[in-house]
Amino acid sequence: MDYLYDGSFDGLLTCIYYHYYQEAADGIYARESYQPSLLVESGLVCSNPDYAARVYKAIEEKISEAALARVYYAFLSSCPGKENIILNYLRLGFRMGSKIDFYHSHPQVHPLHKIACQVTREVHRFLGLLRFADQGKFLYASLAPDHDILPLIADHFAERLAGERWVIHDQKRNGAIVYDGQTSPEKKPYPQRRWYLIDLDTVPASFLPEEDGYQELWKLYFTEISINSRRNPRLQAQFIPHRYRQHLVEFQASRNGFRLAENAALPLIRRE
Amino acid sequence: MAKLAILTGAARYDVACASSGVSRKNEGGIGNAKSFGICHSWSDDGRCISLLKVLVSNDCIYDCRYCVNRRSNNIPRASFTAREIADLTLQFYRRNYIEGLFLSAAVEVSPHHTMEKMVRILTLLRQEYEFHGYIHVKIIPGADPVLIQQAGLLADRMSVNIEQPSEQSLRLLAPQKSLPMLYTPMQQVRDQILIHKEERKRFRHAPRFAPAGQSTQMIVGASQDSDLTILHTTQALYRAFGLKRVYFSAYVPVNQDSHLPALATAPPLLREHRLYQSDWLVRYYHFQVEEIVDPVHPQLETEIDPKMAWALRHPEFFPLEINRAAYEELLRVPGIGLKSAWRILTQRRLAALSADQLKTLGVAYKRARHFITCKGVYAGSRPFDPLTIRRSILPPAPSAQQLTLF
Repeated sequence: MDYLYDGSFDGLLTCIYYHYYQEAADGIYARESYQPSLLVESGLVCSNPDYAARVYKAIEEKISEAALARVYYAFLSSCPGKENIILNYLRLGFRMGSKIDFYHSHPQVHPLHKIACQVTREVHRFLGLLRFADQGKFLYASLAPDHDILPLIADHFAERLAGERWVIHDQKRNGAIVYDGQTSPEKKPYPQRRWYLIDLDTVPASFLPEEDGYQELWKLYFTEISINSRRNPRLQAQFIPHRYRQHLVEFQASRNGFRLAENAALPLIRRE
Repeated sequence: MAKLAILTGAARYDVACASSGVSRKNEGGIGNAKSFGICHSWSDDGRCISLLKVLVSNDCIYDCRYCVNRRSNNIPRASFTAREIADLTLQFYRRNYIEGLFLSAAVEVSPHHTMEKMVRILTLLRQEYEFHGYIHVKIIPGADPVLIQQAGLLADRMSVNIEQPSEQSLRLLAPQKSLPMLYTPMQQVRDQILIHKEERKRFRHAPRFAPAGQSTQMIVGASQDSDLTILHTTQALYRAFGLKRVYFSAYVPVNQDSHLPALATAPPLLREHRLYQSDWLVRYYHFQVEEIVDPVHPQLETEIDPKMAWALRHPEFFPLEINRAAYEELLRVPGIGLKSAWRILTQRRLAALSADQLKTLGVAYKRARHFITCKGVYAGSRPFDPLTIRRSILPPAPSAQQLTLF
């Protein structure tokens, strides 16, 4: 029997629960993208937080914490068929226990390690490749990552920019993280607060591009720091794939085309 | 803006870019530091940008031949005020452009004067702006030890660039500097780091001194020094000063000088790459410099990497049985890295490994197969002959072509 779930992590864990305590699952699929077939029955699964919590605890205790983290990371990936990869992994995991962490090349383990690793890598990448723009009242960052990494990067920025007010907007999945660290601006030190995951479809028109010149300074810095005789765009593209660049300030064309040569008349200290 | 352009352009030849090696919490201000380090962008030359790398001033009294900021060069000069740098750092940091600040300076009046200016900037950032991000500060050799001490308590990493691997080439290219003058502050930093670490064992809140350690940089290709000299100096530096990193910088000709390569010379990028590979072998792969280069082979091969070169010179060491070899032995196999060696080690406890599984473990099997056996089966070139292996690894030479008559 195919289980269909609502796309949430709880829903997926509930399916795993039913796989063990009711009918064994042939596959788990998201409700929206499921294509019914004549040969296999399918059944809708309602997310049940209690069952999900029990599976969650079982993974942590009977397999390992690392396995639980990997399953969650794999769940956030956009890889098609991730649910079945997770199901296969857990079926083996509940038999093997914590040894499964070391069985990297097993055909039921390797796919999961691979997609979890892709997500980890993208999370790390976006800790650096995220650009905030100062909107006056808050900082705004937009991104379009391959995987659903918002819940994984939020903690980092909540600690780093604890006293700021910011929004990180995933334009691909229409979600955003909001954080407000400025509720009482007189009080220092700023304590770290909670962040919230919300739905956000379109960017309000009031989000104007930043006007205070730091973007231009950053672009200038970006061009000046590179050494021309070492130019290597292929290497650069390995680190910043072209698909990420539309959200990066330094890859947008400069508005006033500032170059040092055009401003040579500025007062400088010159040595005779 | 012009200032930023000038002082960035002047700092671009400093290669230290790491923002790793220290965890720093956000204690009520802005910023923190992660021990794994974060790169924020990559410039057109493919080098990462993680720190705002600027000089306080490029107005220098020294006249080092290789340096773009030397006194005899007629270039625009500028300097930042402390507040300008602090503001720029903070604003870039809020927007997540950078991971912290890399502060260096030319010597304007005297080493003391410059170092004092840098300490002032660090104090402003750390205390008034409550900035807890990463700071790398360059030590100006010859500065007062008290100033270096103050800087170390504020910064995360400190560095002195020795620039040349031997006293002789330093004297030739930087006549106002000498190795003892560069080594004195490095010794001081090493001792202070040890003292503060010891103190922290007893008092939990004792201040940290340069918690991310110290590093240095050497220019490659400006002098006639061989890779042997460079790597020996590197190893000696690691041992003597407990450095975290030695950076190599392929010399980009910026000055016309009879002692230096001509202006049109391309920077020796491949050589720099091979030196870094050797550096990694020494730091992570349990290699000794003597194994990588020796007086008979004073230069690294450019065609193949140093680990492969070592393996081809030592056929008696191979082939290794993958299911039995020790970790240190696995690390010697070309195509097996730190991660795959560790995976082999942990997985073979569960079941013996076969060749197919090695590929999913991340081993570069094409290279490794010549040096290993899996369950006793050897799949490499037969007989084990360094020359055949070398030929099979190198990209095929361009084949000769018949020219057309017209």
